[in-house]
Amino acid sequence: MPEALLEAVALSRRFGGLVAVDAVDFSVRAGAIHGLIGPNGAGKTTLLNLIAAALPASGGALRFRGEDITRWGPARRARAGIRRTFQNLKLFSEMTALQNASLGLHAGTRAGIFAALASTPGQRREEREIAHGARRALEFVGLAAQADVVAAKLPYGHRRLLEIARAIAAQPALLLLDEPAAGLNHTEAANLAGLIGRIQALGITVVLVEHHMDVVMTVCDTITVLDYGRKLAQGTPEEIQRSPEVIEAYLGSAHALA
Amino acid sequence: MYLADLFAAGLAIGCVYSLVALGFAMIIRATGIIHFAQGELLMLGSMSALSTLWLLPTLPAVLVLVCGMIASGVLAVAMEFLVYRPLRLRRVPLMNVITATVGMSILCINAARIVWGSEPLRYPELFSTSTYRFFGVVVSPQLVWIMVFGVVLMGLLQLFLKRTRTGLVMQAVAQDAEVAQLMGANLTRMMVYTFAIAGMMAGAAGVMFGSLFFSFFEMGFVLGIKGFVAATLGGLGSLAGAMLGGIVFGLIETFSAVYVSSAYKDAIGMVLLIAILLFLPSGLVGLWKARS
Amino acid sequence: MESALLRRIITGVVLAALFLLPVFEPHQFFLHMLSLVAISATVALGLQLLLGFSGQLSIGQAAFYGIGAYASGLLSTKLGLPFPLAFFAAGLIAAVTSLLMVPITRLTGAYLAVATLGFSILVYLVLKNEEWLTGGSFGLMGIPRASFFGYVLAKPAHAYLLCVSVAALVYFALLRLERSRFGRAINAIRQNEDAARACGVQVTLLKSQCFVIAAFVAGLAGSLYAHQVRYLAPTDFTFWKSVEILIMVVIGGMGSLFGAVLGAAVVVLLPEALREVGDYRMLVFGAILMAVMLFGESGIAGFLGQCLKPFSKR
Repeated sequence: MPEALLEAVALSRRFGGLVAVDAVDFSVRAGAIHGLIGPNGAGKTTLLNLIAAALPASGGALRFRGEDITRWGPARRARAGIRRTFQNLKLFSEMTALQNASLGLHAGTRAGIFAALASTPGQRREEREIAHGARRALEFVGLAAQADVVAAKLPYGHRRLLEIARAIAAQPALLLLDEPAAGLNHTEAANLAGLIGRIQALGITVVLVEHHMDVVMTVCDTITVLDYGRKLAQGTPEEIQRSPEVIEAYLGSAHALA
Repeated sequence: MYLADLFAAGLAIGCVYSLVALGFAMIIRATGIIHFAQGELLMLGSMSALSTLWLLPTLPAVLVLVCGMIASGVLAVAMEFLVYRPLRLRRVPLMNVITATVGMSILCINAARIVWGSEPLRYPELFSTSTYRFFGVVVSPQLVWIMVFGVVLMGLLQLFLKRTRTGLVMQAVAQDAEVAQLMGANLTRMMVYTFAIAGMMAGAAGVMFGSLFFSFFEMGFVLGIKGFVAATLGGLGSLAGAMLGGIVFGLIETFSAVYVSSAYKDAIGMVLLIAILLFLPSGLVGLWKARS
Repeated sequence: MESALLRRIITGVVLAALFLLPVFEPHQFFLHMLSLVAISATVALGLQLLLGFSGQLSIGQAAFYGIGAYASGLLSTKLGLPFPLAFFAAGLIAAVTSLLMVPITRLTGAYLAVATLGFSILVYLVLKNEEWLTGGSFGLMGIPRASFFGYVLAKPAHAYLLCVSVAALVYFALLRLERSRFGRAINAIRQNEDAARACGVQVTLLKSQCFVIAAFVAGLAGSLYAHQVRYLAPTDFTFWKSVEILIMVVIGGMGSLFGAVLGAAVVVLLPEALREVGDYRMLVFGAILMAVMLFGESGIAGFLGQCLKPFSKR
């Protein structure tokens, strides 16, 4: 039985009277690309935000590498190896692409205020390593040429790639992608699918919330379908495409499966 | 009965705070800005009304109030037009807008100091010197009139917002500016109205406070903060909360000044403010909503 | 000429000029004013870290400035502590007091600003009311001049050198911080707090650290102030002082350490240069504050930067 990197047990999130995520059991196998789909309002992004600790859970538990991380905040989870991108891009707009990617490596270093005041050799080496790692991340996503461009000036497609570069710079164990293909055209989406495949090849496990069915069906090993906050189905892309419940849930939607 | 005196005083000052708090709440709902210069609108209304009273000493109390309200209303609209609107149109970050309101506050205070001097100014007697008797309790007419004016103004505001077309449109804009615009609301005009009303409320509060104590150029500073404390106590962004918070805070402050310490009277508000921001950010209204 | 080399040369020249100034212009009053500029610059530099770098609008720095001033004054008058100890103690006491603010760093934007304002009013009330400790409204008198191991800095030139040295040290320390990993992290916090968290940055911790550093620096400046003017009154440390410090940072340029120094010079020296403006001083500053917000927040430093652009190679 391949081990679960991430395990959600009866995870719930309530907003007042509204139940956005309803006791969802969900487990992600290490090394897999795990898709999370569902009609609008199904709770996919909320579930992702619960995993990233952007929202506190109203109930249930979350385990990462066997450890209970339910109470952990977002920074702690990030340092433990769970990184994410945001649906509506949260870049550091005044910084260059390279600087943005460097922030992705912030957590690994140990230099604090006092070390910053004295320029120790250890600190200088860390700076070089950070710069090196940031460049590698930019090269990986194809933004090496834009390293010194200010993030606010990058075109939309590049900004999406930059968020990914920042998230993978530290080679996290788990990468959460929140609608990475939103607003991308056909070619860009195909490139993104290729990129996600290459990320998997690095050994990074990926959880992907996405509406773009081409990307989802091409890239994912497993797909979980949510509807009204509850888990509707889980399986391989083929199984999901054939599932009657899933088809019914999507009936009338503009996204045609297969 | 000493307690009754305190109670009346607390209610009266509470009305003053409520009016200032309403202004804060309205502006925050419509723009997200904490209007640091709100207290200065109070002060300018107070001083303008006083100047009017110097010119026309026989003016009845109600008209003095109205003059003060008109003065601050006009000034508030001027502020919106000259400073806040350009800032909004340039999509300046919120931090800068807040800093600008601080700048506005400084400008107003120092302009007032130049025009009216730095000495506190007494209001001449607006009301008869005889006292009223309620259920055997002696109350000064000052306090009664303030409460009456306060309640009437707040009542009129509620009527305006809930029963008139403009009022309803203003509420719509406060809830969701984009959608309201799609429905045909004139955003600019609603902003002007919002500031005008917030200004008038503050001006009324200024006249009330002035008639109760005195006016001076720095009065807006502390009263502004206290109005903000009241709005936060009630629940920032809620008009009902602003009114409730004002009364509650007025009572808390008046009683604490007597039973705890009078030197640190202002400190009570500050401690309360920090405590609410940290522990009960949604205020009393939020507490009420969570219960039901 | 390389931009970095040019900057080093300019820095060297400016420093040399500052330190040699007393030799060429020993006029007492002038040196006293410049000492005040250096002291104000020190506080402003702390606020720049807080506001310009980490994006936290604090309008209560005067509280720490006052705590540092009174701490140093009281320690040297009542306990006879030598200046160097009183100086560092002032910074430490201000820093420790700022730990009370740590819960407040959770707040953002205007809410944080109002909370810092409330805090500074509380401090002012304590300074005013606790007569047994601070002398209340009567003030604290007879604070000795700064001295090192018995050598009293009686000459204005020596006091001036002390103030400028402290300001320079703080400046370069903060410059180091700005360019370090810590500096990048707090800059990231300012630009996008959520994203910073998602990168593993301990946002609340770093924001609090900024508060403590700014308070420490303000406390040191307060100590210098106390031993410079040698008489303290609570009215020196009201909200208006906090506003003055804010104006220094804003006029000089948000985010620029050099700007904070320039802003301090403008705010302290301008009223002296334009005696007639005196009364209208704050009026003018209020207007300037609004104008800078309207027309671009890079202030004087930004303006100078634009002027110098053609001269430096990127």
